[in-house]
Order: sequence, then C-alpha cells, then structure tokens
Amino acid sequence: MKLGLSKRQVALIALALAVAIVLPFAFDARGYTIRILCLGLLFAAMAQAWNIVGGLANQMSLGHAAFFGIGAYTSTLLLIHFGISPWLGLIASGVLGGVAAFAISLPTMRLRGHYFALATLAFGEVMRVIGNSWSDLTGGPVGISVPFAKPSFVMFQFADTRTYYWLMLAAFIVVTAVFVAIKHSRTGYRLQAIKENADAAEVIGVDTTRTKIIAAIVSGALTACLGTFYAQFQYFFDPDTVFGVASVSIRVAMIAIVGGIGTAAGPLLGALFVIPLEEAANQVFSAQVAGLAQLVFGTLLIIVILVEPRGFIVLWQRLVARRKPGGPS
Amino acid sequence: MTTPLLEIEGISKRFGGLAALSDVTAHVARGEIVGLIGPNGAGKTTLFSALVGLHRPNAGTIRLNGKNLVGLKPHKVAAAGMVKTFQNIALFLDSTVLDNVLIGGLMRHSVEDARELARRCLDRVGIGAIADKFAHNLSFPERARVEVARALCTEPQILLLDEAMAALNPVEMDEFLKLLRDLRGEGLTLVVVEHHMRAIMSLCERIIVLNFGQVIATGTPQQVSRDPDVVRAYLGRSAA
Repeated sequence: MKLGLSKRQVALIALALAVAIVLPFAFDARGYTIRILCLGLLFAAMAQAWNIVGGLANQMSLGHAAFFGIGAYTSTLLLIHFGISPWLGLIASGVLGGVAAFAISLPTMRLRGHYFALATLAFGEVMRVIGNSWSDLTGGPVGISVPFAKPSFVMFQFADTRTYYWLMLAAFIVVTAVFVAIKHSRTGYRLQAIKENADAAEVIGVDTTRTKIIAAIVSGALTACLGTFYAQFQYFFDPDTVFGVASVSIRVAMIAIVGGIGTAAGPLLGALFVIPLEEAANQVFSAQVAGLAQLVFGTLLIIVILVEPRGFIVLWQRLVARRKPGGPS
Repeated sequence: MTTPLLEIEGISKRFGGLAALSDVTAHVARGEIVGLIGPNGAGKTTLFSALVGLHRPNAGTIRLNGKNLVGLKPHKVAAAGMVKTFQNIALFLDSTVLDNVLIGGLMRHSVEDARELARRCLDRVGIGAIADKFAHNLSFPERARVEVARALCTEPQILLLDEAMAALNPVEMDEFLKLLRDLRGEGLTLVVVEHHMRAIMSLCERIIVLNFGQVIATGTPQQVSRDPDVVRAYLGRSAA
C-alpha cells in the first residue's frame, strides 16, 4: 500500500504522535483539561469514522448518533444485566452498529445529497425516541449509569484520567488506520468514483450499492464501538445525549467538515478546534445570558466555514503556499 | 452463421406517455463497427442506456453472447463485457487521468494490477504522457480519449461510444477515427453514435437508423444514405 507520504510528513506525524503520548503529563491527572482532551480525541475518532461515509463516499449522514447510542447502550446493558466486560461489550456494540448501518443503508443508499441527509437524520431521531420510550430496556429519559467496579483494565474503568486519554488516542489511531486503509483500497477508489459520478462508476463495473453499504457498515460499527468508549468514560448518559442530533450527529459531521472532509488529518484538527472552543464558550458566556455560549460558538463556526469551506487542511495548505512564493497555489 | 455477439430483440422503453424506444430489434456481429444514427431525440442515447442497464426496458431482450442482460445492473453488464462512454463525457474530474482509468480495471484486478492495466490502456489510446494530470485540466480531445481508455480498462468485448467525437475538430476527429479502426483491428466490437455523417460513413460498414424510437433502416452507408425514409427523417417530408 502506497500512502504517498513525503519524508517530511512522516516525520511530522511521528512528532505529533510523540507529543500526543506525553501530553497528559503536562496536565493535572484529575483535572478538567485532560477530560476535554479525552473528549476531543473521542470526537476526532467519531468524525474519522463518519469520514468514511461522509468524506470518502460524500454521503452526508446526519444520523450517526444512532450508531453511537446503540454502542453506548449495548455494552452498558450487557455489563449491568450480565456482568460482561465492556471490552466484550465493545465487540457486541460493533456488531450491532454494523447491523444497524446495514439495515438503514438498504433503503437510504439510493438517496443522494439532501435526501440522504434527511433520511439519516430521521433514523437518528427514531432511535432517540425509542431510547426515551422503551424505559424497560434503556431506563428512559432519566438515563443510565455504568455500575462502578474496582478500577481495572478488564472492566474498562480507571482511576487515572490519563489512562482514558491514551485509550482515546489509541481509538483515534485505529479508526484513522481503518480510514486510510479503506481510502487506498479498491473500495476507496470505488468510493471516490461514486462520489464524483455514480452512473459513470456503475457503467464501468463499480457495484455502487455494495460499495456504499460496505462503507456504511464499517463506519457504523466503528461509531458504535466509540459509543462504548463514551459510556465507560462518562459513566452516565441518557438518550438525548447519545442519540442527540446536536450533541452527536451534527457535531461529528461538523468536526470533519471544519477540519477537512475526506482527509485523514481533518477530523483531528476539527475536533481539537471545535470541542475546546465549545467548552471555552460555555465557561465564558454561560453565566451571563442563557444561550449566549451557543450563539458565540455558532458564530465562530460560521466564520471558519466562510473563510475556508474546505476546512483547516486546505486553509493550512493555502497559508503554506503563500509563505513560499512560486509554490503551488 | 454464428450467433451475433449482441442481439437486441423487441426493446421498448416508455417514459410516462412517451415511447422513447418502440420494438427495436438489431444485431451486432463480433468484430463489427456499427453506426447508430438518427435525428435528435430519436432514442440513440436511450438505447445505449438500456443496453448497459441504466434504464430497464419495458419489453424485449438484450443478449450478449446468448446471455440475457435485461434486469442486470450496469456493473453486471460491464462484467459481462459491454460498456458505454457518456455523451457529455463523465470523467471523475477531481481525480488524475490514471485514477480515472484504473477504476475500470478494479472489476477484475487488484489496485496495483489495475494501475498497470490502466497505464497500458492510456498508452493504447495515445495519452500515456498525461497520466498524472487532473481530469479537469484536460482538453476536449484528451477527455474523449480518457473516456475510451477507462472503458478499455474494463476489458470489454463490445464498446458503445456515445458521441465521443462531438467536441473534436476535423484533424482530431481523423486521429480519433484511426484509433477506433485500430481498436477494431485488435478484435474489439464497436457501436458508435455520432452526428458527424462524414465520420460515421467512413468508419462503419453497417449503419442502423433510428427515428422516433424505431429502427427505420439498416444497411451499408450507401444504402441508408439513399433510403427515402432516412432522407425524410433528416430533411423533412417535402425533401423526399
């Protein structure tokens, strides 16, 4: 597999990885910053999983909360009722997430553009309503708690937030590796062709339906696994959080778009911008007027999208090109 | 006589109340170059779309090597050995020429093998030098050749060309006609939709004429150009 990375890029990635690994030592292990970093990495991983469908196939899913919530509830319910380790629950989550993605793909994959976005949005909302209504299973709107256990790897519970941080980092790396592997595989080339002209791709032998379903299953399964990570990290969640349109579906899509849709680095850049910005806006403005934090946050996002709709990656490339006269424009 | 490579029997296609194709029957033998002509709206592109599975006909059968293709999706038709190029040229504009072409090879090969095959196809149509250019930067003659190379990369038995020469000047067209004759010489069967009469008359030994979705004449270029129905279709009733 040729990734086409220059020596400079490889060095840059290695450096970023080294910094990412030692970064937690710079912060209070029980503090607030490290938790924001954990959430940032988790959302980077989710945006990367979304990127497989949204970026490679250009299918703008606004329903990824469905898979995320399925993952969070699956492992948590298995843990509560059967005492099954969340790591095994994670596998069950992935399987169920993949099955759900397959099921929703069958009717929606023929849809393009806005229609696909609306159909997936509806699917996520249906899952949220089911989560709220089926109280016997989910505990309903009051939410559900992950039972505390003695901190151990087997039970996916840790006293030190830094351990979560490294797990989130590993999750992001794994999802990114899957994204990159798909992008450079036959499926990746086919997705690129479908994105640009589905009819032309089909006529020269691309099974467009099958290819899109494969992408959806991988994306849904990974997102569900990350739902388990979220449950184990937060210990408490409710349907409106894990199945939420704003809290998950739109946020995940937005992170990938703001960072650079279809690129491997985009979701990380997007998450490291969006998640801390959201937190900062909350801290500074929440005490003053209700909703002001969201207003400021939204305004900043609009500015970013107006400046460079193709995301930070392209913005960065433009700045580099400007610094080097004669370079590629 | 051996069975024809492509047998079209009684194909009809309606869009709502409009009969785009009515009971079209035609045959293409292996190794032929057949021209498909007709006035605007005659149903040429619709027939191509039906042949490759983009439109499902309301009636009739399409056989390739005796195998019925009706109801198959386009990628299955491609796997069976028939592909078409697009009238308006439908390249993957944000990809390189090489990546455009190698998609066709993925049906039967790994990415690496498809890339090698794609290079050979680009050399075959005479544009190996522009493999790394992005498709949106190409001239019209180059685009037309990339479409052909991409189709060739699927290793077809029969290639349907839908006005591939539309944007070419006379010199470029002659070069393109030479390419098509060479491909035919290598065993490829071609069906060509074209508006340029000079091109189609010099290229094809047999021509099928469509008008209002029906076959009105079949024969050599000389025969169809003298056929009163064909003359009337092109020039209007009073000319006949």
